[in-house]
Amino acid sequence: MSAQSQVLGVKKPARSWLRGLLLDWERTQLVITFTLMLLVAVIGLLFPSPYVLGILILATLYAYIGITWNIVAGFAGQLLIAHVIFLGIGAYTTIVLNDNFGISPWLGIPAAGLVAGLLGLLVAAVTLRYGLKADYFALFTIALLVSLRTLFLKWQFVGGALGLWLQLGNTGWGNMIFATKGPYLIIALALLAFGVIVQYRIYLSKMGKYLLAIREDEAAAAALGVNTSLYKTLAVVTGAAMAGIGGGFYVMYVAFVEPPQVFDLGFNVEIVMASPIIGGLGSLAGPILGAFVNKPLAELIRGMLAAQTSGTTLIIYGSFLVLSIMFMPRGLAGVVHSLYLRLARRWAGDGTGGS
Amino acid sequence: MTLSILLQLIINGLFTGGIYALVAVGLTLIYGVMLILNFAHGEFLMLGMYIAFWAFTLFHIDPYLAALLAAVLVFGLGALIQRGLIQHVLSSHPLNQIVLLLGVSTLITGLVQFFWSADPRSIHVAYETSVVVLLGLRFSIPKMVAFFGALFIAIGLYVFLRATKTGKAIRAVSQSRQAALLMGINVNWIYVLTFGIGTAVTAVGGVLLTPTYTIIPTVGQQFAVIAFVVVVLGTMGNFIGAFLGGLIIGVVEAFAGYFLGGDVKIIASMLVFILILLFRPAGLLGRKPG
Repeated sequence: MSAQSQVLGVKKPARSWLRGLLLDWERTQLVITFTLMLLVAVIGLLFPSPYVLGILILATLYAYIGITWNIVAGFAGQLLIAHVIFLGIGAYTTIVLNDNFGISPWLGIPAAGLVAGLLGLLVAAVTLRYGLKADYFALFTIALLVSLRTLFLKWQFVGGALGLWLQLGNTGWGNMIFATKGPYLIIALALLAFGVIVQYRIYLSKMGKYLLAIREDEAAAAALGVNTSLYKTLAVVTGAAMAGIGGGFYVMYVAFVEPPQVFDLGFNVEIVMASPIIGGLGSLAGPILGAFVNKPLAELIRGMLAAQTSGTTLIIYGSFLVLSIMFMPRGLAGVVHSLYLRLARRWAGDGTGGS
Repeated sequence: MTLSILLQLIINGLFTGGIYALVAVGLTLIYGVMLILNFAHGEFLMLGMYIAFWAFTLFHIDPYLAALLAAVLVFGLGALIQRGLIQHVLSSHPLNQIVLLLGVSTLITGLVQFFWSADPRSIHVAYETSVVVLLGLRFSIPKMVAFFGALFIAIGLYVFLRATKTGKAIRAVSQSRQAALLMGINVNWIYVLTFGIGTAVTAVGGVLLTPTYTIIPTVGQQFAVIAFVVVVLGTMGNFIGAFLGGLIIGVVEAFAGYFLGGDVKIIASMLVFILILLFRPAGLLGRKPG
C-alpha cells in the first residue's frame, strides 16, 4: 500500500479514515447530524427538567418531520405544501386504534405510516400525473388540508370538534405511556436516527439521483428516460408514510388531537417547514440543524416576550420563513458548507503539499 | 324540490359566487402577470374585513364606504410586500416563492391575532337582515350589494385592463415579459402595480362581506382555498374564466349546502377540484392540457 502511495508521490496521511470521512460532504453532514443528536442526549441527561426535555423532544420530532418533507420538497423539488395532513392522519390513526380498538401504539404507529402512505398515493395519483402543472399540487394539498379539517370537525367517530384524548392505560414501554419525559426523548431520538438513515440511503441511491434530476429539470429527466411520475409518487408516498409515523409518535406524546390543531397551516409552517427552510432545504443535515436551532430560539423569544398572547408563535415562525428565504436561501447547511469547503481545501492542500 | 327553491338556491349561490369571483380575479391577475401563486391571498381579504370593522367601530364609517379606504391601504401594503420581498424571489424555485408567501401569510395572521386578539368580531348595521321579496324569491340586501359591488369592480378592472395604456402594459407583461421589456415597459413597476391591484380588489371583496360574516384572523383561509379552486376551474391566469368560475363554485356550494348542510360545502369545492384535475386539467377556458 505504501509502495503504491510512493508511486503516486503522495505521502499517506496518518489519520486517513478521518480525512476520508471529512473530505466527503455527505458523510460530514452525517457526522454533524449524529453529533447534534448526541448533544441533545447529553443535554437531556444533564438537565432532566420537564421544560428542557419538552423542548428537546419537540425539536427532535421537528427534525424528523423536517426530514420527511425534505425528501419530497428538498430532493424532488415538489410543491408539497400542506405536508402536515399526513402527520394529522397518522396521529388520528394511532389514537383511534389505541382508544377504540385497544391496539398498542407499537402496532398503531406503523399502521399510521401505512394509512398516511395510502393517502399520499391518492394525492399523487390525482395531482402528479405527467404533464400536469406543478402549481396544481401546491393548491391541491392546501385545499385538502382545509377539507380534512372540516370533515374531521363533523366526523363524530373521531371525536368531531371535541377531539380525542389518549386513553391512558398502564405506564410502561408496552403501552408507550410514561410518567416522565425521558423515555419519550429516547423514542424521539430513535425515530430521528431512523429518518436520518432513510434520508441518507435515498440520497445515495438511484432514486435519489432521479429525484434531484426531476428537481433540476423535469422535462430533461423525462427525456433521458426517467419515469418522473413514478419517482415523484415514490417520493411523496415515502415522505407521507414517514410523516404518518411521526404523527403517531406525536399523538402518543401530547396525548390529545383535534382537527384545528393538526390540520392547520400555522402548525404546518412550524412543524414541517421551519426546520428544513432554516437549516437548508435539500441538504442532508438541514432539517436537523434547523430544528435544533429554531425550536430553542422560538422558546427563547417567546420567553422574552413573556407572552402567552395568541399569535406570538405565528409571528415568530412567519418571520423565520421570511428571513431565511430573504437572507439565507441555502440555509444553515449552506453556511456550514461554504466554511467546510474552505477547510476541506486546506486539508486537501496539506495532503498533497507534504510530498 | 320546487322551482322556487331551485331559483332561490341559484340566486344565493350567485350572490356568494360574486365575492368568490372578485377574490379569484385578484389571484388570477397576479398569477397571470407574475407567475406566482399568492399563498397570502386570503390574508389580504381578512385585512380588508378588519379595516371595515375598525372603520365602523371607531369612526362609524359605513362598511361600504370603508371599501375605498381598504383598497388604498391594502394596495399600499401589497405594493410594499411585492417590492420589498417578492421581487427578490421572482426568479427563484417556485418552492422558495411559496414558502416566502406562506411566511408572509403566517406573519400577518400572527400580527392580527397578537394586536386584535383571536376573538370573533362582527359589525351590526341597520340593513344587515333586510330582504327584498320579489316573485316569491328572497333577495338579501347586503348580499345583493356585495354581488353587484363585486360585479362592478370586476367589470371596471376588465375595462381598465382592456382600454387604458397601463392596463395594456399589464396584459403585455402577462403575455411576454421579454417582449414587454423590449417595448420599453417598466416591468418591475407593472409587477408592483399588479400585486397592489390584485390584493386591493381582494380586500374590497372582504369589505363587502363584513355586514354578513363573522371576522376572525383565519377567516381568509377558507376564501383563499375556494379562490384556488376557482382559478384552476377558470384556467389559471384567465380573467373571465376566474369570474365565471367564481359564480359556478358559488352555485355549486349553495346546492351542496342545501343537500349536505352548510358546514361541509367546502367538500363540494374539493370534489370539483378533483374532477377538474382528473378530467379537464386545463380548466374551462384552456385549450392545451395544463
